[in-house]
Amino acid sequence: MSWSLVPHLLVAGITNGSIYALIALGYCLIQNATGLVNFAQGEFVMLGAMIVIWLHNGLQIPIPIAFPISILLVAAVGMALEQGPIRRSRNRDVLTLVMITIGASISLRGASMMLWGKGSRIFPSIGGDSPFIFLDAAILPQSLWIMGFSVLVLALLYFFFHRTLVGKAMRAVSDNRLGAALIGISANRLTALAFAVSGSLGALAGILVTPITSMSYDGGLMLGLKGFSAAILGGYGSVPGAVLGGIVLGVMESLGAGLISSAYKDAIAFLLLLAILFVRPAGLFGKIHVRRL
Amino acid sequence: MAEIERKVDRNNPQIAFVPSNWKALIAFSAAVMLLPLFFRNDYFYLFFNILALNAIVVLGLNLLIGSTGQVSLGHAAFYGLGAYISAISSTTFHLPLIVSLFVALALVALASFLLALPTLRLEGHYLVMATLGFNIIVCICLGQMENLTGGPSGFPGIPKLHLGPWGITTDRQFYYFIWTSFIVLFTLTLNLTGSRVGRALAAIHEKELTAKTLAIPTYGYKVAIFVLSAVYAAFAGFCYAHYVTFISPKTFDIFYSVQIVTMVAVGGMGSLWGGLAGTALLSSLPEVLHQLEDLQVLLYGIILMAVLVGCPNGLFPAMAAYGAGAGSKLRGWIAGGAREFSSGNPVKGAQFETPILQPDAPIDRGELRAASGSLLKLDGVSLSFGGLQALSDVAIHVQPGEIVALIGPNGAGKTTVLNLISGLVEPGSGTIELDGRRLSGLPPHRVAAAGIGRTFQSVQVFSGLSVLDNLLLGYHKTGRSGFVSASLRTPAERFEEEALRIKALELLKSFGLEKPAAQSVGTLSLVEQKILEISRALALSPRVLLLDEPAGGLNPRESEFLMRHIEALRSKGMGVVLVEHDMNMVMRLADRIYVLQQGRLIASGTPSEIRKDPRVIAAYLGTKKGRFTAEDAESAEEIKVKR
Repeated sequence: MSWSLVPHLLVAGITNGSIYALIALGYCLIQNATGLVNFAQGEFVMLGAMIVIWLHNGLQIPIPIAFPISILLVAAVGMALEQGPIRRSRNRDVLTLVMITIGASISLRGASMMLWGKGSRIFPSIGGDSPFIFLDAAILPQSLWIMGFSVLVLALLYFFFHRTLVGKAMRAVSDNRLGAALIGISANRLTALAFAVSGSLGALAGILVTPITSMSYDGGLMLGLKGFSAAILGGYGSVPGAVLGGIVLGVMESLGAGLISSAYKDAIAFLLLLAILFVRPAGLFGKIHVRRL
Repeated sequence: MAEIERKVDRNNPQIAFVPSNWKALIAFSAAVMLLPLFFRNDYFYLFFNILALNAIVVLGLNLLIGSTGQVSLGHAAFYGLGAYISAISSTTFHLPLIVSLFVALALVALASFLLALPTLRLEGHYLVMATLGFNIIVCICLGQMENLTGGPSGFPGIPKLHLGPWGITTDRQFYYFIWTSFIVLFTLTLNLTGSRVGRALAAIHEKELTAKTLAIPTYGYKVAIFVLSAVYAAFAGFCYAHYVTFISPKTFDIFYSVQIVTMVAVGGMGSLWGGLAGTALLSSLPEVLHQLEDLQVLLYGIILMAVLVGCPNGLFPAMAAYGAGAGSKLRGWIAGGAREFSSGNPVKGAQFETPILQPDAPIDRGELRAASGSLLKLDGVSLSFGGLQALSDVAIHVQPGEIVALIGPNGAGKTTVLNLISGLVEPGSGTIELDGRRLSGLPPHRVAAAGIGRTFQSVQVFSGLSVLDNLLLGYHKTGRSGFVSASLRTPAERFEEEALRIKALELLKSFGLEKPAAQSVGTLSLVEQKILEISRALALSPRVLLLDEPAGGLNPRESEFLMRHIEALRSKGMGVVLVEHDMNMVMRLADRIYVLQQGRLIASGTPSEIRKDPRVIAAYLGTKKGRFTAEDAESAEEIKVKR
C-alpha cells in the first residue's frame, strides 16, 4: 500500500462512480414515476453489454452501430416490462409489483445465460487500451469516454426535464399522479417512457463499463446493487443525489480496495448502504417525507 | 353463544391446546410417516429430506411476509451462516453438536437483528435490497475466508447428527428426524399465527398505523419476526450441514434465496399451508428438469412473475377457488374448528334497538373535575409542514367526564390535532400531557397504552380479520402472552385468550354487535363498522377517547344511536374529544367547544357562547341567513328525518 497510488485510485473511483451514477439515475426515474424499486435495473446494464457483444463479436457489426441498437433494444425491454407484467398485475400492492421486478430480473438473467452462455465476455474499447499519464495518474481512454458520456447524459436529462413539455409532464406525474391525470397528462404513457429511459440508461452504463471489466450473464446483480446503494446514498429519488452518490460510492470503494483490501471491494458498497440506512435514511439530498393521514 | 358465556375455568380453558386445523395436521403427519413405504430407493429419501429443509426456510420467510409485508432476499445467507457456523464450531473447534447449534442460532439471530434494526424502521423496500446485499456479502466472505471456511472448494468432514447416544446417519433416519422437526415447527408457527401475537402481526401487515394506535409496538414485532424467520433458516442450515457433511458457498448464493421466495409466492404469501405446497411443487422442478439444468434460472423467474401477475394470492388458493363445489367441502373440513364462534347461519347486521351501554355507576361529573383538574392538556402546540403553518399555539384541555368538541372549516387542522395527541405526528413545539404525564415525543403505541383511544375519519377496520378479532386487537395491551407461550399454547395463554374473548364478546354485546362476531368485518354496515371502531378504542380502557367525525356518512337515526353511546361514555368519567361537522351532534353533546381556523384557536366556550360568538359565525357557522340556533338545529333535524 502506498499513498502514491491515491491519484490513480481517485481516477478509477470516479470512473466507476460515473457508471454507478448512471445506474442510480435509472432507479431514480422509475421511483419517481411509479414509487417502485425496480430490481431489474441491474439486468438492463447486463443486457446492454451482452447485446453489443453479441452484435459485434457474433454478427460483426461495427461498434458505433451496435451501440445505439443495443440501447434501443434495452429501452424496449424496459418498456415491455412495464407494459406487460407490471401493468397487467391483478394486485396493485407495491410488494407484489416489486416482486414482479425480482421475477423479471431472474428471467432476464436466465434468458441471457441460455442465449450467450455462462462465460465472461468483452469487446474492445474505443481508443485502445494503453493508458496515458496525467498528473501522476494512469488514465485509460475508456475512462474519458465514461466520464464524457455521463456528463452528456446529465446535460440531456436536465434539458429534457426542464426544457421539454414531455419532461415537464413527467415531473408533474411524479409530483402528483392524479393531479397530472386530471389536466390531461397520460400518466400511463409517461410511466412506460420512464421505464424505457431507465432501460437505456442502464444499457449505456453496461456498454461503457464492459471494455474495462468484461461482462457475464450475472454481472448485473452486483452493478445493480451498487447503483441502488448510490441512489440511497444520494437520497432515493433525487437526481443530483444519484449522481453525487454514485461518485462518492465509486471513490470510497476504490480507495477502500486500494488501501485496505481488494478482496472485500464489493463488501464496501454494502456496508456503506447499511451505514446510511442506520444514520441518515434520507440520504445526502433526500427529503423527509411527511405522510398525510 | 351460551357456550361462550360460561364462566372461565382456570384449570380447563375452552380453547384447544392444538392449532384450530389439527385434523389436517394429523392427516399430514400420518402421510409423512407412512410415505417411506412407497420409496423404492434411498434417492427418494434424499429428495424428501431436501424438501423438508426447504420447507423450514419457507415457513420462516412466510411468517415474515405474512406479518410485515416485506420480503427478504437473504434467507440463503441465514441458511448458509447456520450451516457454516455449526460446521466450523463442531469440526474445527470440536464443540459438542448441541453447543454448535446454539452458537449458530445465536450468531444468526444477532446478524439478522443488526440487519433488521435500521431497515425495518423505514418504509419502502429497503429490506429487500439490504438482505440482497447481505446475501452477496456473505457469499463473498464464505469464499474469501479460506482458513476458516475452506473457501470456494468447500468445507468437508462435518460430523453427522446424533440425538444423545443415537446417531442420525442414514437417509432414512434423517428423514424421520427432519420431518418431525418440521411438523413441530409448523405446529408451533400455526399456534403463533392464531394467537394474540398473530393477530397483532396480521394487523401490522394490513394497517400498520392503525395497529400503532391500538398500543401494538409494531416496530418491535417486525424486528422480532425477522429474527425468528432468520433463526428458522439457520436451523435448517444446521440440519443440512450435518446431513450432507460437505458444504460449499455455491449452495447459499442468491439463487437459493430467489427459489425460496418463489416457493412462498407460488404457495400464497402469508399462507403457511400454501407455502408447504409451493415448496413441494418447486422442489420437484429440478427432478423433472434433469437435463435442462441451465433452464432452471429462467424458469424460476418466469414462474415467479407469472404467479404474481396472474394469481397474486398464490397458485394453490387460486386452484382451490376454481375447484369449488367438492373442494369447498374438503377445505371446510381442513379448516376444522377454525371458526369456533361461527353460529351456523349468517346473521344480518345488528339491530339498533338493542340496549345501549349503561354506566356501571353514575359518577358525579362536577366532583370528578374538581378532584383532578384537567386530564388532557395541550399547551402552546405548534406544527408546520415545510412552509405551511398547520397549527400555531393551540391550547386545549379536557377534563374527566367531559365532551370537548373541536370544530372549524375544512383544513383548519382538526384531524392534525388528533394526530398530534395520538403521537402519529410530533409537534414542532409545545407540550401534550395526560394527567401530568408528558405524551409528546412518545411513539404512538406508547401513547395508546398511556390511555388515548381514537377512531379515524375514514373507518379503519382490519378487513382480513373477523369482527371479534378486530375487537380483540383493542385488548392487545391487556394481554401478556408472548411468542413462546403463544407457540406452545400454555394453559396460562389459553386462559388469558379465553378471558379476553369473553370480555370482548361482552363489549360487543353491549353495542349490539355480538351476532356477527365471527363474520368478516366486510359484512358490517358503515354504522356498525364505526361502532366496532369505537368499541375497539374502548377496549384499550382509555382515559381520553378521540372521535374523528363519528357521524360522517351516517343517517340521522344512526347518528342518534351513536350519540346515545357517546353520552353513556361521558357518564363513565371518560374524557372525549369530538371532531365533527354535524352541528346538531356537537351542540347536543359538547360541554365545551373549541373553534379552529387555519391552525389557530379563534374561540372556545360552551355551546351557547359559541353559537353567539361573531368570529365563529363569520368563520364557520355562517353569517346573516346562516345564523345557527337551537331551533335551526331542530328544524334541520326534522327535515332530515322527513327525507
